[in-house]
Amino acid sequence: MDALLRRFRPEQLRELILLLVIVGMVVFFATQIDQYLAARPVNRITTGLAITAVVAVGQVLVVLTRNIDLSVGSSVGLVAYVVGTLLTRWTEMPPLVAVGLSVGIGVLLGAINGLLVAYGRVPSIIATLGTLALYRVVLVEFSGAKTVTTADLPDWLNDIPSANVASFEGYDLRVMVAVALVAVIIGQLMLRYLSFGRRLYAIGSNPDAARVSGLPARRDVFLAFTLCGALAGLAGFMFLVRFGNITVTAAQGLELQVVAAVVVGGVAIAGGSGSMVGAFMGVLLIEILQQSLLRWAEISEFVKDAILGLLILLAVATDTVVLGRLRERWVRIRRRDQEERLAAAPGEAADVR
Amino acid sequence: MKFRSTVAAGMSAALLVGMLGGAVSAQDPVVATPGQDVKMMLLPKFLGILPFDQANQGAMEAATELANPSAFDFVGPTAENSVAGQIEFMTNAPTGGYKVVMLSNNAGDQIGPVAAAAVAAGTKVVTWDSPIPTAEGESVFIAQVDFTETGKVMADMALSILGEDGGKFAILSASPDAANQNAWIAAMQEALASDPKYAGLELLETVYGDDQSEKSYEQAQALLSKYPDMELIMAPTSVGIVAAAKALQDEGLCDSVKVSGLGVPAEMVEYTLNGCAPEFALWSFVDLGYLTYYVSYLIGSGALQGAEGEVFKVGRPISGNDTFTITKDPTRDAGLRVLMGPFTVYNAENVEAAAK
Repeated sequence: MDALLRRFRPEQLRELILLLVIVGMVVFFATQIDQYLAARPVNRITTGLAITAVVAVGQVLVVLTRNIDLSVGSSVGLVAYVVGTLLTRWTEMPPLVAVGLSVGIGVLLGAINGLLVAYGRVPSIIATLGTLALYRVVLVEFSGAKTVTTADLPDWLNDIPSANVASFEGYDLRVMVAVALVAVIIGQLMLRYLSFGRRLYAIGSNPDAARVSGLPARRDVFLAFTLCGALAGLAGFMFLVRFGNITVTAAQGLELQVVAAVVVGGVAIAGGSGSMVGAFMGVLLIEILQQSLLRWAEISEFVKDAILGLLILLAVATDTVVLGRLRERWVRIRRRDQEERLAAAPGEAADVR
Repeated sequence: MKFRSTVAAGMSAALLVGMLGGAVSAQDPVVATPGQDVKMMLLPKFLGILPFDQANQGAMEAATELANPSAFDFVGPTAENSVAGQIEFMTNAPTGGYKVVMLSNNAGDQIGPVAAAAVAAGTKVVTWDSPIPTAEGESVFIAQVDFTETGKVMADMALSILGEDGGKFAILSASPDAANQNAWIAAMQEALASDPKYAGLELLETVYGDDQSEKSYEQAQALLSKYPDMELIMAPTSVGIVAAAKALQDEGLCDSVKVSGLGVPAEMVEYTLNGCAPEFALWSFVDLGYLTYYVSYLIGSGALQGAEGEVFKVGRPISGNDTFTITKDPTRDAGLRVLMGPFTVYNAENVEAAAK
């Protein structure tokens, strides 16, 4: 264990464990469900997690700053419905305009959240709980109880769900999945290498210290919410593409799934710690679990939600306990190593962290 | 089509019984006096889907015709809050001064005591689309079609799609609390068990999509993974049926697996024409809203008591019939109903005309 801790940080170790859990879960279901690893089911499950993954990337940015965005479910639904309705009226709308419009509406919705939280000083859980309801009501009012149906949507849109970037022996990398992967990778690079990304960690670790040391904390929180809205907008477009039939209940409850995935993926709800890759693994875990439970004949319809809830609790609880221990130990080992090195070569003390 | 004549026969039998009932009590049909002030609430399962909007249209038509000075309120919860929301609306209805609540019940029996309390406080409850299973607090249920008949129509469509030898199918329903869907599924299972002509039909599983597009879509996909030999998904809900059809189309599986059930023609036309959903059925929700409003107005103004055997006349004929009778509801242990009917079965020949 100590050897491992010398090589990896506790957070990395955690991601490793998560990966093992996912692999273990897939192996388990493969023994339980016929044809589980065949091309078709795998394509279905991977395509299914794309939307959650895109929303999760945005959510990570917000959660890192010690905030939360609960409005994403309504944002996704509102964007899907509004853009879907516009596309049924103006069928010649170029695809890029449709995507741009989706992201644009998302930016607007995210910016409202950002304004409320960063400049209006409303606690994010309250502000976004408010906009969660508000955006949904706007959608209900806008819709006039109509449903957007695939029949009225342009053909190019309906062809996207089955469009591939690459395919290997029937295993497809669908466009939607590729978009999600790109979002995760860009998000991860941004958090690691951009000063904006580093500042998000600083703000979340200690908001007061960040402000006192002169970081543009408010602007950054506002930006995080706006980016989260933009990604929710993109996800709204993907939602329209995937489901085609959009009612006012579209994407209801998605926010909980996303927050659960992000937390299971090791992004601390208290801010300042976590990564995109971890969150993506959280999405993988939750989505694969959910989709597999749907297909697992052993379990009744009603037990599934309970199992899912239990696993989320378990993941978070063991995480706090185990990761807390690991971190203490990690600090101890570092300190001991440092003292040993100090004893061996006192002159180099300044370089050792 | 064979079963259509069965439906018609069933309907005329029901009408006959209705007319006999009227004859026994020797009543002239009750006719509405327009212009009376009856404040009413139209409470669907939830807001935001086409069938309930169509019911609202029908109710508005009747409201205009009856010149009720109080415009009725079309209110409802959101889908995820349907049960709690409906109970809340019902609880507050007497305080709001409503004489009648027109309810499409999504809360199972839980709403019974609340409805009874509303009645005690002076608000009548007329259900439509989906009744209160125990009939507690309910004056009368406006049944769109005979619920036993629904089971047979679904079984007949399954047989007509799968062929005489039948095949394996699964049901994709709305929420597990939906009284109407549950009654239809039970009626279908009963039909399968009792009539040897359905012996080839094997029900694999019933799953629930909660009337949410994405959940229904994923449930349909899961059914496809779980049962590779499934040939039909029967979805007795307008949201589920389009979601299942879209899932099949996205997978390119419409040749081997079909969708059927209850759907709105405007939403189904594409899938019926391309063969994903060769047959589905529905009644007119506009007519249902119209009839519901009419009955509620008569009950709210005291012209009807909501008693068995009462006969009344509506302003315009519904499928050629303008006189209805309140009868015992044979599909529930207790409760009264007014039967509207009939079913229309849609296929490639008539769906386009109906979608306009």
